[in-house]
Amino acid sequence: MESEAAEKATSLIKIPITLEIPIGPQHPAIHEPVLLKVYADGEEVVGVDIGTGYNHRGVEKLLENNTFYKDKFITSRICGICNTVHENCFVRAVEYISGMEPSARARYLRVLVMELERIHSHMLINAIMAEIIGFDTLFMYIMRDRELVMKAKEIVSGGRVLAEFHMFGGVRRDIDDVKKEKILDILKKLEPRLKYYRRLFEEDPTITKRLMEIGILRPRDVVSHGMVGPILRGSGVKSDVRAEDRYDAYNEVPFNVIVKGEGDSLARMLVRWDEALESLEMCRYILEHLPSGSAVVDERKLPRVFPAGESFARVEAPRGELTYYIQHIKGDKPYRVKVRTPSFNNIINSGFSYLRHSIADVPVILVSYDPCISCMERAIVVDLKNGTEKKVTFRDIAMGKVRLR
Amino acid sequence: MSKLIKYSPWLVHFNTGACNGCDIEVLAAITPLYDPERYGVKLSPSVRHGDILIVTGVVTKKAAERLKRLYEQMPGIKYVVAVGACAYNGGVFKGSYSIAGGANKVVPVNAYVPGCPPRPEEILRALLLLLNREKVAGGE
Amino acid sequence: MLEVSEIKEIEDILANYIVKKDVVKPNRPAFYIDANNIRDVIALLKQRLGDEAIYISNIVGVDKVSDGVIEVNYFIHLIPFSNTIVIKTSIPRDNPKIPSIIDLLPGAYSGECETYDLLGVEFMGNKYLRRGFFVPTDVTSKNIFPLRKDVKV
Repeated sequence: MESEAAEKATSLIKIPITLEIPIGPQHPAIHEPVLLKVYADGEEVVGVDIGTGYNHRGVEKLLENNTFYKDKFITSRICGICNTVHENCFVRAVEYISGMEPSARARYLRVLVMELERIHSHMLINAIMAEIIGFDTLFMYIMRDRELVMKAKEIVSGGRVLAEFHMFGGVRRDIDDVKKEKILDILKKLEPRLKYYRRLFEEDPTITKRLMEIGILRPRDVVSHGMVGPILRGSGVKSDVRAEDRYDAYNEVPFNVIVKGEGDSLARMLVRWDEALESLEMCRYILEHLPSGSAVVDERKLPRVFPAGESFARVEAPRGELTYYIQHIKGDKPYRVKVRTPSFNNIINSGFSYLRHSIADVPVILVSYDPCISCMERAIVVDLKNGTEKKVTFRDIAMGKVRLR
Repeated sequence: MSKLIKYSPWLVHFNTGACNGCDIEVLAAITPLYDPERYGVKLSPSVRHGDILIVTGVVTKKAAERLKRLYEQMPGIKYVVAVGACAYNGGVFKGSYSIAGGANKVVPVNAYVPGCPPRPEEILRALLLLLNREKVAGGE
Repeated sequence: MLEVSEIKEIEDILANYIVKKDVVKPNRPAFYIDANNIRDVIALLKQRLGDEAIYISNIVGVDKVSDGVIEVNYFIHLIPFSNTIVIKTSIPRDNPKIPSIIDLLPGAYSGECETYDLLGVEFMGNKYLRRGFFVPTDVTSKNIFPLRKDVKV
C-alpha cells in the first residue's frame, strides 16, 4: 500500500508466499497467490506492496456444489497443518444451524485433538524460525521432538496429519485406557523438551539478538489492521477465541490466555511456546478427567437435509482466529460458505509493518506472523537501477547474504 | 543408469499448490527420526544439483509451465516422484476445469506415493525402491 | 456470551441507525442498517468504544438473486464485550455500491478487495480495488464475477 515510496527505491525484492486462502471459483492451487514486493533503498525498506492476482485455490464454489458431508472432508484439506480446526469450525457451524448437541465426552475429545495440533504447529513455526536465522541444529532438534506429538495425534485420531476426527453431533473414534496411558507417556517425555526450547528462545544470544525489538507492533495498529492470534497477544491485547466463545469443552477445561506486552518478534515466538506448554497441561487435564458416555456418532442416523438458517462459528487456530459463515436456504448443499483464514488478515494487511527495517529483518518478521511454510521458495531480487535480476533463497535474505548498494 | 546417483540422491522439492499436508510430511522425512542421510538422501541446495524431483500438490495450468521448466533445468539422470493423491490425478479437486490433471500430464513420473498425505516412511521407501536399493515384497 | 445489559449498550449506541434486529446463531446480535450509513456506524463504534476495541473480523457478500440484492455483512469483533456483532446491509444487484470504511479501519482492505473481485461490489473511496486481486486473468478477461449465482465458471 506504499507504492508512492517506490520512487526512491534502488532495489525490489519479490518474495512469493503461499497462503491457505480458499476463495474464488473452482480453481485449485495456491502456488504464489501472494507476492510480497519489498522496495528497498540500500538496506532499508521504503515500501511494501502485497501483490496478488496469481493462481489461487477456489474452494468456496466447490463447497456450494457439494453436500454438507462431502464439504466436511473438503474443508479439512484447505490447510494440512491446521486441518482439525477447519473441520471443527465447519462442523460446529452446521450444528448451530441444525441444533445438534455433541455429548460431553465428544467435546472433550475434540479439544484434545485440537490442542495436540496446536503444539505441533507451534513447534513447526519455531523450527522454521530457527532454520532461517541459520540455527540448523535447533531446527533438527525441534523437528525430531515434534514427531512425538504426531505420534500422539495418530493414537487419538488415526491420522498423523489429517485427523478427520469430527462428525456432526460428535466424533468418529473413541479412545480406551491403553491409548490414554500411551498418550500420557508421550506427554511426559515431551514436557521437558518444550521447557528447554522455551528457555533457549529466551536466553540464547543467537536467537535473541536477531529477534529482539524487530518488528514492534503497537496495540492500536494491530487491532485496527485486523491482525489476529499470537500477533495480537504478543502486543498486549488480551483476546483469545477459546476464552471468549467457550466452545466445545473450553468452558470446563482450565487454561490461561498468554499475553506479552513487548510486541516484537521475540514476544510473538515466546507466546507460541507458552501456548504450547498450556496446551500440554490441557491435554493432561482432559485425559485425566474424560467424562464417560458415548462419543461416536452413528452416521447412519444422521439427516441428509439440514434446516434453513445462518450461523457464524469462530475457532482459535494456531495462527489466529478462523471463522466460517454458513447461510443455508434449503436442500442438502449449503447456499453460501465463507471461510476467512487467519493468514488472510495477518499477511495481506501486514504491509505497513516492514517499513524502515533492514532487508535481513523482513524474513524474520514475516515468519513471526506464521505464514504457510511453503514460503521457502526462491525470492527474486531486482536491481532497479540497472534492471538485473537474481534469485536468492529466503534464508539468504535472512542471513544477510544479499548484498545491495 | 541409476548407479551414478544410487548412493547419494539429492532431492528437489516442488509444491505445485498442495494444502501443505504432503509438504510437511516430505519435510518430516528429512529429519533425524527417519534419518534419510544414512542412505545419502538430502535436500539439494539448488535445482542444478538435483537428482530426484518430488512433486506435491495438484498441478494447475499455470504451475504446469513452471514444473516443466524446473524438470528441464535438472541435469542428466533424473527421476520424478509424485507424492500424494493430488499429484496422482487431482485428489479432492479432480474434475475442475483449471487443473492439468496429475503430475504425469506434465512430466514423466517414475513413482507414485499414494496417501493423503502419505507417511514419511512411505516417501522414503518409494525413493529406495526407485533406486533398486530395497526388495519389493514378494521376494523378488 | 453477551449479557443483556451489554446488548442494550450496543443497541443504544447504534439506536439511530438500526432498522431491524436479528440473531445469527449461536448468539451474535445482528443489526440491519441502511447501506449508506455504514461509515457513521463504524465511526460511532470506534468513538464510543475506543481505538483498541474493535476490528473487522469478516466482510461477506451474499448474492441473493431471487431478491435482486447483494447482502454485504460486516462481522465486527468487540474486544471489551468478547463477542462479534453483525452489521447487515443490502445493496441493489444491478448497481452494487457501498461506501468504503478503509480509512476508519485499515483492516477492511483485504475483505473489501476480495468482495469486489469476486462479487463486483464497488466500495466507493477504496482506491486499491482492482480485478485480478485473486481471480486469474482468464476469468477477469470475460468480465465475470465468479461467485455470483447466475454465472457458470
